[in-house]
Amino acid sequence: MKVQVNDVHMEFPQGTSVIDAIFAAGYDVPYFCSQEYMSPVGACRMCLARIGAPRKDKQGDWILDEGTGEPKIFYFPNMMATCTTQVMEGMVVDTLSEDVKRVQNGMVEFTLINHPLDCPVCDKGGACELQDRSYEYGTGVSRFEFDKRHQEKHHPLSELITLDRERCIHCKRCVRYFEEVPGDGVLDFIERGGHTYIGTLDPGLPSNFTGNITDICPVGALLDTTSRFRGRNWEYQHTRTTGMDDASGSAILVDGRTGRIERVKAALNPDVNKTWIDDGTRFGHEYVDAPDRLETPLLRVGGELKAVSWEEAAAFIKDRLAGLSGKDLGIAIRADATLEEGVAAKALAEALGTGQLDHAPRPAASVIPAQDPATFTDLATADGILVVGDVTEEVPIADLRIKDAMRGVTPPELMAHGVPIADLRLKEHPLLRRGILTVAAPYRVDLMKHAGQAVTYPVGGEAALFGALTKIAEAGDGQAAEEQAGLDDGERAALGMPYRDAAALVTRLKGAERAVVVYGGFVLATKAAADAAAAFAKAVQAKVMILGPMANSYGLELLNVGPSHERYAYPGMLGEARALILSNLDPAQDPDVRQVLEQKDLLVVHDSFLTETAAMADVVLPARSVFEKDGTTVNLEGRFLGVHAAPVESGESEDFTGLVGALGEALGQRLEGRSVRSARRVLRKRFELDPAELPPAGRLVRPKGRRTARVAIRSQEASEGNLLVTPSMVRVEYLSRNPHLEALTGGPRLRMRSDDAAMQGVAEGDAVKLRVGGVLRRAVVRIDDGLPPGLMLLPCLPDQPVGLARADLTTLAREERELEVAG
Amino acid sequence: MVELDTIPPFFADKQELVGEILGRYPEVGKRSAVMPLLWEVQRAERYISEARINEIAEILDLHATEVKGVMSFYSEYHGEPVGKYHLQVCSTLSCSLAGSDQLYDYLVEKLGIVNGETDEEGRFSIQKVECLGSCGTGPVLQVNDVYYERVSRSRCDSLLEALKKDEMPEAWRERGGDNEGETKAGFLRNPVSNGGAGEGEG
Amino acid sequence: MSDVTGSSQDLADTRPITSRRDPRYEVVMYRHVGVEGAHTLDYYRSHGGYEAARKALTEMSPSQVIDEVKASKLRGRGGAGFPTGVKWSFMPPVDGRQRLLVVNADESEPGSFKDRYIMEDDPHQLIEGMIIGCHAIQATKGMVYIRGEYVKGYERLLGAVREARQAGILGKDVLGSDIEVDITVHRGAGAYICGEETALMNSLEGLRGNPRLKPPFPAQAGVYGLPTTINNVTTMTSVVHIITRGADWFASMGTEDSKGTKLYQISGPVERPGVYELPMGATFRELIYDLAGGPREPAKGFFPGGSSTPPLPWKDEYLDLTMTYDAMAKAGSMLGTGGVIVIPKEKDIVSAMYNVVRFYAHESCGKCTPCREGIATWLPKMYQKLLAGLGTREDLTLMEDMVRNTRGTAFCPLADACAMPVQASFKWFRDEYEYIVDNGRPMYTKSDWWQA
Repeated sequence: MKVQVNDVHMEFPQGTSVIDAIFAAGYDVPYFCSQEYMSPVGACRMCLARIGAPRKDKQGDWILDEGTGEPKIFYFPNMMATCTTQVMEGMVVDTLSEDVKRVQNGMVEFTLINHPLDCPVCDKGGACELQDRSYEYGTGVSRFEFDKRHQEKHHPLSELITLDRERCIHCKRCVRYFEEVPGDGVLDFIERGGHTYIGTLDPGLPSNFTGNITDICPVGALLDTTSRFRGRNWEYQHTRTTGMDDASGSAILVDGRTGRIERVKAALNPDVNKTWIDDGTRFGHEYVDAPDRLETPLLRVGGELKAVSWEEAAAFIKDRLAGLSGKDLGIAIRADATLEEGVAAKALAEALGTGQLDHAPRPAASVIPAQDPATFTDLATADGILVVGDVTEEVPIADLRIKDAMRGVTPPELMAHGVPIADLRLKEHPLLRRGILTVAAPYRVDLMKHAGQAVTYPVGGEAALFGALTKIAEAGDGQAAEEQAGLDDGERAALGMPYRDAAALVTRLKGAERAVVVYGGFVLATKAAADAAAAFAKAVQAKVMILGPMANSYGLELLNVGPSHERYAYPGMLGEARALILSNLDPAQDPDVRQVLEQKDLLVVHDSFLTETAAMADVVLPARSVFEKDGTTVNLEGRFLGVHAAPVESGESEDFTGLVGALGEALGQRLEGRSVRSARRVLRKRFELDPAELPPAGRLVRPKGRRTARVAIRSQEASEGNLLVTPSMVRVEYLSRNPHLEALTGGPRLRMRSDDAAMQGVAEGDAVKLRVGGVLRRAVVRIDDGLPPGLMLLPCLPDQPVGLARADLTTLAREERELEVAG
Repeated sequence: MVELDTIPPFFADKQELVGEILGRYPEVGKRSAVMPLLWEVQRAERYISEARINEIAEILDLHATEVKGVMSFYSEYHGEPVGKYHLQVCSTLSCSLAGSDQLYDYLVEKLGIVNGETDEEGRFSIQKVECLGSCGTGPVLQVNDVYYERVSRSRCDSLLEALKKDEMPEAWRERGGDNEGETKAGFLRNPVSNGGAGEGEG
Repeated sequence: MSDVTGSSQDLADTRPITSRRDPRYEVVMYRHVGVEGAHTLDYYRSHGGYEAARKALTEMSPSQVIDEVKASKLRGRGGAGFPTGVKWSFMPPVDGRQRLLVVNADESEPGSFKDRYIMEDDPHQLIEGMIIGCHAIQATKGMVYIRGEYVKGYERLLGAVREARQAGILGKDVLGSDIEVDITVHRGAGAYICGEETALMNSLEGLRGNPRLKPPFPAQAGVYGLPTTINNVTTMTSVVHIITRGADWFASMGTEDSKGTKLYQISGPVERPGVYELPMGATFRELIYDLAGGPREPAKGFFPGGSSTPPLPWKDEYLDLTMTYDAMAKAGSMLGTGGVIVIPKEKDIVSAMYNVVRFYAHESCGKCTPCREGIATWLPKMYQKLLAGLGTREDLTLMEDMVRNTRGTAFCPLADACAMPVQASFKWFRDEYEYIVDNGRPMYTKSDWWQA
């Protein structure tokens, strides 16, 4: 389509919106209601322009202008909202004339008549779209002489989000966001006309993705409560980095000021998270600035931990190691360590000649699929999806991308100015293709309410489920299919659904052109289940997306940060090794393990806080948080992404490369991975890419050759238990230091049936403690009668990974506990 | 949801009705039932409480917020209780030209309450409303669901007296033009001559 | 209906019928409205009811029905005046999806009240029209969106649907044919904007009644994303008579662009306000004087077709205009719903227009900026200022300027529906605006309009 925007002539594909044509041509119109990934609605009327197009006569010929002989341009009688108008062949767009200017002035004036002039105290000041647009397109004068609309200025929509109703300009981005992105209608316009306001009747905004509305609000109406009144926008240092809260590799923007993180916002990665992040990623940063952060190394002197220098700490470790054989040392790092840290850990292990090396939590099965993993784009364009597990808690962004697939609109092509502002294929209140989605889990999970098919299978039955489905898939689909499949009663029960439904699911996935099977912790917990899942995916020719437990599970497995023998895997090494270096792990929460650790010749703990394990360590080394590191991570797609340090003041904290550097210096060795730079030399060779030069969207790497993990796998088969440890969007280990998230969630939730609760003498909302697999867990009781009898659910910790566990019910007791609620 | 336990549910014993309402719409249009369900509640309880909003949300797999958003958009649904007799005075132009402003003032004077208020007894509420589609027979007063048309002072008095005794008169269905019926407008069935056409004033 | 053959048509006279005085003219749609018991199926059938539907379903194919309606040149009676047969032909080819016919009975335009009486007194006429319409567009479901206040009409319509179902007129095999049509009556709850067809669709779907984007047009993806046609009540009832009497009969009435018989309404201070059925091409004078008996007091202007249509001054040149789409457009106004409101001389125009503006302010949905902030917020405040005697000449300039900024800039026609009459009032009655700002009091002060 040839289009003329003012004096610029360009061509655009059919379906392009006029506003995108304007921006692509290098011109500008203001807009408030449009948002790249939501339906254009034409509500704010800011993007009006004068538009004309040639017409054809009845014979199909262009009507010509008598004067010029060119096709005559017929202008629309009214100014057109360019966000909701498509380009047409020969269209002429005028954004500069006096007429256009007049209506732009007029719309700014209308928008401002009820908008308070509290910019000096508004958190959005300096980053406010209304402020900017009023400056660019307003007259600077208001003729409105009446009282502005007075409404609530500090309305808490939840513990995390504060609404200033006076500032709202009714662009409807937030309401549309909830309808269209997570599909949770928890926010709506109330009343109508001039009385319209944003509100909710769903306390706490029950959705895992609420914070995104604070990013897309064009004014200061919706604010992140954790950062409210903490700083002005021009004071923040913005660091674009990768969220390390889960395996999605979502792009985030960390805003720091005076050495603190004030807020985390979503950043754009069209291939991964678009512009969305989950609330765990957004609001889970407060722990970083907790007052009890460790800032210096500590050394146990006379039974007490004393602050020392890194050199002193390293010298101490060197001395202790001198009395041991190198292979007596066990090294374990948490699975959200960077690749660089992984290189460092490996280098240290190699230098000392130990095979006792691991990252944790690491599930029983590999997180790297045998074939190329499905990408988020694969997921978002899939026409058949089977999810086994709780994807919303494991990798929340995958939940949103599945909803993209249900919408049936492929990701937009990028334009000269980036993601199209108004994708006209997106419609308000779309009919979703729910039928393409099946969600199976051992209990009711959030995504099920959006799925065409929801299946609850027996707890621990993942291997049996996939086994039975594979039999159905291999039986063909003729009349005799059911007989051919030959399922016995046990296998039928394992399906958790009637045979007919299972057969329909298999047929649907087989018939899909782009099928994706998604699974996470419950399947990875046993090798048998993971193998069965892989076999099923192969049988229906589906791509596989594996939801690893932590941000860099994929990368650390790919790098082979693992033991030489399965005996040395974490947590087995805790018993095997005589000396331990543990980074960000806290196994001593289990009293049995604690006893074992007490016998060690050396216990070095690298952590940001004085955890139970740190408190009993010989040496404690202050660790940088994920926000303070430079490095590289690999998401579940196999996408290498840069991690960049925000300017956070954390004393002498170092990441694991720093630890290895200090230790190497003490040992007199120049270890690979003694710094981020040196670790990157290894990575460059290993992966044929430069981690320092990764593009913002990251780079998908498909290593040739080996597909399966070389790392020895912890041998663990289906266990029995009465409590299912579940994935958690919110990092439980930091929850008590994230006061806003803690206030919102009320703390970790122990979900149980009302009859079970009654039997244990606890009730909804009770703060309780109980020992799970030895670990003392604190939680709040939430009644859920949808659970199978006798089963309880509790969110995971890095040291208590997803899967069945045994809870000691005799320890279940109510406790008086005051939640620290932010004031 | 805890407070729901204290109020008996409204729809629990009306499953047949709920089924009938849902059956009016195609399966894809389940949400269409939100307005009829709101009407059922309001008809029985004269307003729609938050507890009922939650009930309707549950029936339709919606969030309570969505039901509230819909309910609050429409001016006839009440979020607060109104009196037993909800006096709705049409205030729009044709009725205004027939004296609806004075009718409203008269009601205010007689009942001691103003627009949006309910009397202490809970018997009367007054609300000024916009065009009721009775422009040819104004002023019109809608009491609950019933139209009383061409309300004069004396008719207003007798209506209020009746309502005070809880006697709700039949609708006053005033007629005019071609809807006057065969007897009244018989002459209109046959063409009339052009006699009597007035001259323009302007 | 039953007495079609008894009508005394002068076959020799081929001039179009443009006046109710024409002896060939006959009231059809309102023939039974107002008659006691006319709402029952027995009455309706005994007066020839459902014969048109039977004819359409058993003797005519869908495309024949569409062609007949096209030939009649019937234009939609909701206000926009789009040719009905053409609209029907926009429905996509049958593709297995359910197809819907939606009737817009959200009659809320001030000055309009024709549909109400049909639904109260002659609901079967509407149902019959819908059966024919459903057949034409091959829809199996008809839905009536009736405004919430019309409880009587709602109940009568529900009763009629029930009767029709029992009599085999609605349901699987309508009137013995193999055609399926059922009707759902959906009651609104007080929102003028739901008369706008996209808002109506949202409301019908159980959403807030905000207008939605077009395209997609209803025929492609309407209610529930299904192919949908939306028609006004009296468009449907017109179709009944077009099928009974033929397109030629319908097209024999009216002017070149405006054919057939139409229901007009008249309110305000006239002797006999009400609904009158007239052939198109009749003049305002005929409606106001011949039928309604003329103004009861001196008049200075009138809204020609509901409060959204720019008012015209009380001058012969306007009174003698035909009540047709073209004539109204030429006069700078619109035919709208055909609801004439007479403005008496003694009603100060500023207060009359405030009344109108207040209506639109109340009914603005709040979706788009110029309507929410301009029409619903700022403009009524300006009128209040004027009426409080605090206005200035600058305020008049501001009002005109602000109203101009709402013209053609809003999402849907509601803002224009308010802005255009306001602009017309400034054009024709500027002296009254100037008087009130110069003198601090209105030019006309009569305030008691209550007759009894």
